[in-house]
Amino acid sequence: MNKYIKLATLGIGISLMSSCSLLEVDKILEPNNPTVESIESNATANQISQLGIGLQSTARNGIAAFYETSGSIGREIIRSASTDNRYFSEILGTVDIDPAGIFYGWYGSYNATRRRAELFIRSADNTNSITAAQKAGVRGFAKTIQAYAMLNCLNMLQSSGIRTSFTDLSAPGDLLKPGKFSDYAGGLAYCKTLIDEGNTALGQAGASFAFPMTAGWAGFNTPANFARFNRAIAARIAMYQKDWAGMNTALNQSFLNLSGPLSTGPVFTFSTTAGDLTNPLFQNRNTDGAPWVVQVRVVPEAEAGDTRIAAKMSRRNNPRASGNIAASEFEVFMYPSNTSPISIIRNEELVLMYAEAQLQTNNLVNAENALNIIRTSAGLRAYAGAKTAAALTDELLKQRRYSLFFEGHRWFDMRRYNRLGDLPKDLANHRVFAEMPRPQSEVDWDVRNP
Amino acid sequence: MVLVILGLAGQLFAQDKLVTGKVTNSQDDSPLPGVTVSVKGSTQGTTTDSQGSFKISVPSGKSLIFSSVGFTQKTVQVGSQTTINVKLDENTSDLEEVVVTGLASSIKRSNAANAISVVKAEQLTGTTKPPYLDNAMQGKVVGANIVANSGAPGGGISVRLRGISSINLSTEPLYVIDGVIIDNSQFNTGAGSRAFSGATTTSNVSSQDQATNRVADINPADIESMEILKGPAAAAMYGTRANAGVIVITTKRGKAGETKINLSQDIGVAQAQRFLGSSNWNDKKIDTFFEGYGIGGYTAEDYKRLLKEANGRTWDYEKLFFGETPIITNTRLNISGGNDKTRFFISGGLNSEPGIMQRTGYGRRSIRLNLDQKFNDRISLGVSSNFINSNSSRSFTGNDNNGVAIGYNIAYIPNFIDLTQRPDGTYPVWGYTGQNPFEIRDKTDNLESTNRTLQSANLNIDIIRKENSLLKLNVVGGLDYFTNENEVYVPDYVAYQQQRANPGASRVSKSRALYSYLQSFLTYSWKVGKVDLQTQAGAVRNIRDFDLTWVQGEGLLPNQRNPLTGAVRVFDQFFQKTQEVAVDFNQEFNWNDKLIGRVGYRMDRSSLNGDNTKWYGFPRASLAINLTKFDFLNTDKINLLKPRFAFGQTGGVPAFGDIYSTLDATIIGGQLGSVTPTTVGNGGLAPERAQEIEAGVDVGLFGNRLNLELTFYNKTIFDFLNPYTLSPGSGVTSIKAFAVGDFENVGTEISLTGKVIEKKDLSLVTTLAFWNNKTTITRLTIPETFAGFGFGAFGRNRLRQGASPTAWYGTPNVNGQPTQYADAQPKYQMSLNTVLKWKNFDFSMLWHTSQGNHNSNLNQELRDEGGNTLDWMEDSDGDGIVNPLDGRLFGINASNNTSVFVQDASYIRLREIAVYYTVPKSFLQGAFGKVIKGAKLGISAQNPITITNYFGYDPESSNFGNRALGFGVDLTPYPSVKRTFFHLSLDF
Repeated sequence: MNKYIKLATLGIGISLMSSCSLLEVDKILEPNNPTVESIESNATANQISQLGIGLQSTARNGIAAFYETSGSIGREIIRSASTDNRYFSEILGTVDIDPAGIFYGWYGSYNATRRRAELFIRSADNTNSITAAQKAGVRGFAKTIQAYAMLNCLNMLQSSGIRTSFTDLSAPGDLLKPGKFSDYAGGLAYCKTLIDEGNTALGQAGASFAFPMTAGWAGFNTPANFARFNRAIAARIAMYQKDWAGMNTALNQSFLNLSGPLSTGPVFTFSTTAGDLTNPLFQNRNTDGAPWVVQVRVVPEAEAGDTRIAAKMSRRNNPRASGNIAASEFEVFMYPSNTSPISIIRNEELVLMYAEAQLQTNNLVNAENALNIIRTSAGLRAYAGAKTAAALTDELLKQRRYSLFFEGHRWFDMRRYNRLGDLPKDLANHRVFAEMPRPQSEVDWDVRNP
Repeated sequence: MVLVILGLAGQLFAQDKLVTGKVTNSQDDSPLPGVTVSVKGSTQGTTTDSQGSFKISVPSGKSLIFSSVGFTQKTVQVGSQTTINVKLDENTSDLEEVVVTGLASSIKRSNAANAISVVKAEQLTGTTKPPYLDNAMQGKVVGANIVANSGAPGGGISVRLRGISSINLSTEPLYVIDGVIIDNSQFNTGAGSRAFSGATTTSNVSSQDQATNRVADINPADIESMEILKGPAAAAMYGTRANAGVIVITTKRGKAGETKINLSQDIGVAQAQRFLGSSNWNDKKIDTFFEGYGIGGYTAEDYKRLLKEANGRTWDYEKLFFGETPIITNTRLNISGGNDKTRFFISGGLNSEPGIMQRTGYGRRSIRLNLDQKFNDRISLGVSSNFINSNSSRSFTGNDNNGVAIGYNIAYIPNFIDLTQRPDGTYPVWGYTGQNPFEIRDKTDNLESTNRTLQSANLNIDIIRKENSLLKLNVVGGLDYFTNENEVYVPDYVAYQQQRANPGASRVSKSRALYSYLQSFLTYSWKVGKVDLQTQAGAVRNIRDFDLTWVQGEGLLPNQRNPLTGAVRVFDQFFQKTQEVAVDFNQEFNWNDKLIGRVGYRMDRSSLNGDNTKWYGFPRASLAINLTKFDFLNTDKINLLKPRFAFGQTGGVPAFGDIYSTLDATIIGGQLGSVTPTTVGNGGLAPERAQEIEAGVDVGLFGNRLNLELTFYNKTIFDFLNPYTLSPGSGVTSIKAFAVGDFENVGTEISLTGKVIEKKDLSLVTTLAFWNNKTTITRLTIPETFAGFGFGAFGRNRLRQGASPTAWYGTPNVNGQPTQYADAQPKYQMSLNTVLKWKNFDFSMLWHTSQGNHNSNLNQELRDEGGNTLDWMEDSDGDGIVNPLDGRLFGINASNNTSVFVQDASYIRLREIAVYYTVPKSFLQGAFGKVIKGAKLGISAQNPITITNYFGYDPESSNFGNRALGFGVDLTPYPSVKRTFFHLSLDF
């Protein structure tokens, strides 16, 4: 063997031995974005902050689809889309709703919000960078958001229910085994559990949250006053559960103020900053693309002088027909600009809920007084109708119709009082659906994962 | 002195004999240095010196083998001779070719157990001069479906070997040049994004950028041979990157001997293959058009007025845009030579390929140095070094939503409207889009520039050499480094930009890719009785590092190109890092050339897999039985009868990023937040696995004048990855990639070569080939789903168990399921290659046909919408309704469905034709003395004839680029060209 070979063999031998790692492959961390794993354990205080902001941001998702679909079936508005007549045929009952169709934008959004909130709680629980009280704050905030989102989701589906359990959310394989569906009562009980757990946690959360509360939560940005928002949602849940005593209790702990401004309450904020959302419910006046027009009976059935009409609706220059449906003279105009906030829940609704709880527990005077707060603020004279429970119920539903117009209530109110038959149908072949069918993809999933 | 005598005595004792001699080139009698002279049946050997002389002692009764790269090996019985002078022939015979069997081993082709297609330089670029490598392969590879995505300068060709190899991952083969894997990515330029052609509505990445693929950088003229390992059975040693096959390229290298200088020059003309035509208009047609359809921006009255104003004049927009006949020039200079120690090959190439549309074109400059050094008779080193600079200007073609893409828009312009630039320099706006395509051609840019260096080194050391065994070390290392720069620019004053919120858009992208590769193998060759054995083990490591940055500005300051002058600026920075290692074991045996087999096993690790520490194993085995080497079949009629069987597995690594679940950024109230994603990664991802079983027979008859190769294969891809749609109630929409099923490719390949005439001054060789492939999904664990890209009811691909994934689907829906139509893949392909040599003339011709391939064709639809198809006013079924309104236009007629748009794109094409004349040496000597040693003249054409009923610029088309699914969507691409060349080649 000559010296070249010896040298070369020696050299290569040494280099191979000195680098056993030649056969190793590094674990390459995602170089472009932080991964979910980075917040699953040992998240920093800063990461917890960002997750809190993130949840506040994405909690906004789904609201436009939720209002639009419930508002269409509840005969508040019509989405008069030039290019797609399903918005004023299928959803108004000309055919059954396509469970794989276009009316489920809210479903994915609200379920994604629930998952994000759940992962936020996990992240907080698996770190030592924040205190036990701050962890309770995360849990309290996140569970409240979950309850808000899932109640909206559940009301759309009613007897179809919602999935009320998770498998392990962080293991993709387990995502293939989604939890089971609960019926409406079970779903409401699930929402109540969430909101009550949230409330308990907020009670243990100390003086402030571990994450910044954005401007929309002004007045609700500490655990103590956020708990009053929590109780407002708890009152909503109790209302759907017809638990009038529980509703009263929750209202008393909420930010209900019979003598305060009706507009008080947290809002979703929007901006034109890159990466932020603009108000998805904002529309320019008199557009011809796909405006939300006001269902033709809404304005005529309001009392003369009701200031809520002018505050929420605007007369179109050209009345807008939707297919064969008679032209609407009014369109929705609730938000002056694309950066106007959207109310999540406000004192006005709390007063109406208070009225309903009093009515249902036979305190008719209290109920009438509360309704008169609403009437007065809308520029109407005090209630002059019969002082019976039945008449006051009619009045309650009427005030809710105009106070909470196009905010995801009317359809459910009429359903709660078995009055879906009273909703106005624009055409003879229309029907009023009681609920949305379970999404096709979920039906398919349960077939595959019995 | 005593020792020398003793030494001689020892040799004499073994009855060795000293033989001397000289080796020369049979062609010109020049001495051949560096020829290996070895004693048959032993590892004894020497090499010739610079004068071609050698001296060796030979045991009595033995033979000497003379071998040298590029020459046919010769064996000489020594007998009583003491002086042996040998003439070696330059290698041209197919049978002595070697093909790869391992990462550091090869085998004589006559012993191969796989059907490996080999394309030699002569076939690749010997006939005509296709500008891009993949282009040069078309019609020459049995079992391949090679399709140009468009005719735009700079290439963009997809190569599919034995059907498709994945549904969502790349289905392009792996390219290995001189032992080193190179990059063949497509980089999105943003040309299809919202601010430019608007083909896609996204502002960021776009699937419709009409990008080139990077193998187009390689100069085909540098290639000595290409071996195409079409499936896992042959490509298993390449492991997890070889599901789509491997193309192993060897570049030209110097031969020992006199220095040769070759200068060649091609001058050619390109022109569009065909035009689709545009019909004339009259008032009646205008009425019919506007009653039945019409286009936005104009009324029937407008058209009638414009028709009257035109006063009989018409403008043929296809010719005005695509009617250029530019001059193509290719210049190459090769210098090669060497001595017994050192061989070199230097080449320089200049390609200039202007487009058939003004301001488009492609250019490439490349230089190469291949150097081989023998340090002594045991150590040799080969180095290959290549630098390439390529530039293209492609303008805008394909899909469009902004009035930008040329072909798309001229489909709508009636020929009586004059949109040419006015004498004052302005461009009249066309009412339908508010844009003028001439302005796009003249004022906008879509540019690409690549600087690329490819380096490789190959070190061989004979560590132990004994009588009957040899231990060799082979180390190959290399790198592929390039920067790819794209600039897409539309000035603010261009009409459609004026209607945008922020006029003027510019996007500058820079991609940097570094690919490094290292492999090290020990090979031990030994003998047990009559069986030659070769044992090989080694390791492979490669790293890919990729960095993409782009900046886009909209609302540019007047006349500024820098995107930072924009009012709205968007940036992106994307990193990608991959590491892969493998160990490989290979055992070959050869019993007297009768039974030849191998088994092997490769294990791979990749950072792209969910578990970066897990080894994935890929076995292989093959057996060839050369029946003609057995005594019972020893006739003169049958020269080769070789059944062969091969099996192998390979992998397809997941796409980068599919294992990650990343946090998304969100903003609320000016504060940055993080949110967990709604599409999640799969941390448990494993590679897709392809398994192939191949069986075939090679037959040689009548003194090998008739050769048949017949191969059957079944290539099954197990656990192919697809996005997995989840229960939306889980809060996650999908898992990025999940193993959801299996599919198989089954096919036949037949190649028949006949040496019809073999005379001194006349020879004719004809090769007829046939191949087919059928793809079927055999298992699917998810519900049927559309997959790949496409335009809805114009035809989409779909995953359906029992059906082909490349079949088209569309309306009408029956029981909620879309209707299945024909397949995008051809039913079969055939080629006929003929080479005729008569005295100093060489004539060659390559015909190729693809039958049964169907495209989702929107060309006719667009022209029908514009009222411009030649048969627009015709009424084929006589019902009084003109053809387009009778079911050809989308959504016009209730009976109208996807069947109208899924169209047969079969074709027969003369790919290449050429005739060359070699100037006689006697004439050259008389005219130029000894200055010019050889000269060759020729004329050739590429794609001169296409026979098809298809309505489009080219039946080969893919709007969405190189994809497993969604290819064959034809939407007004840059027209394909035919090229005609004059060639001159001089040897000095």
